[in-house]
Amino acid sequence: MDISPTEAEEALAAIEIMAQKTRHSIASSGTYITLIVTGTIWLIGFICTQFLPEISGYVWIGLSVFGSILATVWGFRMGTRVRSPATAVTARRVILFWLFLILYCSATIAIAWPLDGKQVTMLIVLFALVGHLAMGLLLSFAAVWWPLPITALVLASYFLLPGLFYLWMGILGGGGMIVLGLYIRFRW
Amino acid sequence: MANLNETIHQPVRLRIMAALVALEAGAEVDFTYLRDLLEVTDGNLGAHLRKLEEAGYISVNKVFVERKPRTYVSATPEGRRVFQEHVAALEAILKSR
Repeated sequence: MDISPTEAEEALAAIEIMAQKTRHSIASSGTYITLIVTGTIWLIGFICTQFLPEISGYVWIGLSVFGSILATVWGFRMGTRVRSPATAVTARRVILFWLFLILYCSATIAIAWPLDGKQVTMLIVLFALVGHLAMGLLLSFAAVWWPLPITALVLASYFLLPGLFYLWMGILGGGGMIVLGLYIRFRW
Repeated sequence: MANLNETIHQPVRLRIMAALVALEAGAEVDFTYLRDLLEVTDGNLGAHLRKLEEAGYISVNKVFVERKPRTYVSATPEGRRVFQEHVAALEAILKSR
């Protein structure tokens, strides 16, 4: 079988594009849904905390349950698309990692107590963002960058706009995640 | 110098192998996911997968997940080796220009 150098070049380009598309598809599909779900929870939860503080606790509980169920369903769906011998082991490690992170976050809050609502929120959000950063580094390097600008927005809202902290967290933090998620889904 | 592989060189089969080899060794991908990734029809993908399976380059695994039938496809060690040889042959042609 003989082909010209131009045909060889085209075939190599097709291989490279397909390999990149595959890796990108696997890496981004988990990222965009995480961003959209987390962003929606932040948007509703924090706006509720800003304007309806008396019911915000119940709203957060409801949102957390909804987010956990959605994450489980989506995780199962993702797991059926690409299966590998390492998947089950990785899934167990990911679950353990998040459980330990919750324990460490709780211990940090207990040590630092008494804290006001904004400080507790900041600590929980920062631990959650560290968790997402770790997931990106360990599971898909393409998904590593997004917690960094969100962290910058969260810190800016805490130090620069304390009076509008929850509103800022909802609109810029939550809204920012939704926009990033949609961008990854449709444009990336 | 490695030779070009006629079975793999067909454009759709080349892209199938590129997608499967991009996964970690031992990983298998759902038929519908692969179809969407390649943007081909069920029939077209099925026909090319049969050719690759007959050549021993891929393995097709039919299982039930949640009582629904699913087909998983993965590159065999032989398929990965032959694909790398094919890529090496393409690169050699390019270098000889």
